[in-house]
Amino acid sequence: MWAHVWGFLYSNYFRFWLKWVLRLLTGKCELQRLLGGAEAGARRTLSVEHSLESSKNKVLRNAVHVEEAEVEKCVRDVMKEKKIGQKDTRFKTNLRISLLQISGYKKLYLDVENLRKVPYDSENEEHEEQLIELWHLLMPHENLKARISKQWCDIGFQGDDPKTDFRGMGLLGLVNLVYFSKHYTNEARQILSRSNHPKLGYSYAIVGINLTEMAYSLLKNGALKGHLYNMVSGLPQMEHFHQFYCYLVYEFDKFWFEEEPESIMHFNQYREKFHEKIKGLLLDHNVLLTLPDTKKP
Amino acid sequence: MGLLSILRKLKSTPDQEVRILLLGLDNAGKTTLLKQLASEDISHITPTQGFNIKSVQSQGFKLNVWDIGGQRKIRPYWRNYFENTDILIYVIDSADRKRFEETGQELAELLDEEKLSGVPVLIFANKQDLLTAAPASEIAEGLNLHTIRDRVWQIQSCSALSGEGVQDGMNWVCKNVSTKKK
Repeated sequence: MWAHVWGFLYSNYFRFWLKWVLRLLTGKCELQRLLGGAEAGARRTLSVEHSLESSKNKVLRNAVHVEEAEVEKCVRDVMKEKKIGQKDTRFKTNLRISLLQISGYKKLYLDVENLRKVPYDSENEEHEEQLIELWHLLMPHENLKARISKQWCDIGFQGDDPKTDFRGMGLLGLVNLVYFSKHYTNEARQILSRSNHPKLGYSYAIVGINLTEMAYSLLKNGALKGHLYNMVSGLPQMEHFHQFYCYLVYEFDKFWFEEEPESIMHFNQYREKFHEKIKGLLLDHNVLLTLPDTKKP
Repeated sequence: MGLLSILRKLKSTPDQEVRILLLGLDNAGKTTLLKQLASEDISHITPTQGFNIKSVQSQGFKLNVWDIGGQRKIRPYWRNYFENTDILIYVIDSADRKRFEETGQELAELLDEEKLSGVPVLIFANKQDLLTAAPASEIAEGLNLHTIRDRVWQIQSCSALSGEGVQDGMNWVCKNVSTKKK
């Protein structure tokens, strides 16, 4: 209750006066203080994002929704609005980077969402090719005897036709699986073979699709901001999302075998525990969740 | 009895708890049904490893619904969840004709289980939103449901996606819980 009242008073009144006092003392506006001081990365961009979003000025508030092509113009407009000389190149460059990161994150979410919304379609040749590619990447020494085959269970699909396993994750689930197997082939094969453990085993592909959901929901609720702002000083790309997925697969496998669950039936309980662990790591402003550098070009 | 004591009595009768087991082949739509029952978003569903459980309030009951993964590899674990089951809900993908035989076999085995003997069974003929879905009557015939004599049973066509038919099925569940338990 008091926290609510305080939050309301702060964001509506005190924040304004605090900014005014600081401006008098330092001779700089909030954005100048943020962009001139802190090092590049999550801390700075998150503060800039918050400052812009809670601004009373429309130009500033709209800056977080600007498209890539408009960023240059938006930077100039913000500087004009805050009466900052256009010659302040440091401010200009830093604001530009932050705006690219902020709008890039929103764009990345839309791209990921669009891929997720494409249902897996076995009539679509491109989809089928990727599915077959996944098989070859994971099982280089074994031929797939037929498109509909019990063999799919060997890489952790549920039955003889993987097409029904992608569900709500659509093509995103498959693209993630293929990306990991293609760029971290050794790790993928190793994890697949570990996942066949007689007692602690799990279904590799299905768990992969579950982890796509985890990566997707973290992106959707903004939890990945810190990580991506630290990772890319510009526009984050689809590839960076896939990279984060790879991190999850790799780390989940380690986590699972360290925890030694009784059986696969406890999957959701450990998935949740792992989820909490990742959410905790993502709260740190210096977070950077990447795999050891073994990626193939 | 004074008003106060009546109120107190009403308050002290908690909802009767009901254990519902949701079974069926993989991709039958069990998790979608579970989420539909709990009024949750159904657009981000992934295949179930292990199980999901949710509690739903309905008609004075607290329904504890156990949704167990349907993949062949984990079907041997189904039996770990049989104990104290009040109602069995068996979900069928009505459009997946190629697997009618498999789903029929699994159901028959479940009905033979000692721990499930006498437990009322509701069969959801799911995915009626698909054009290729078989009608409930055809499924009932294919599975020889009329030969079930050792328990009450019902087949209900539904679409877990749109929610159509789900409530009708759940009404049957609540009705049959009360007759069995009281």
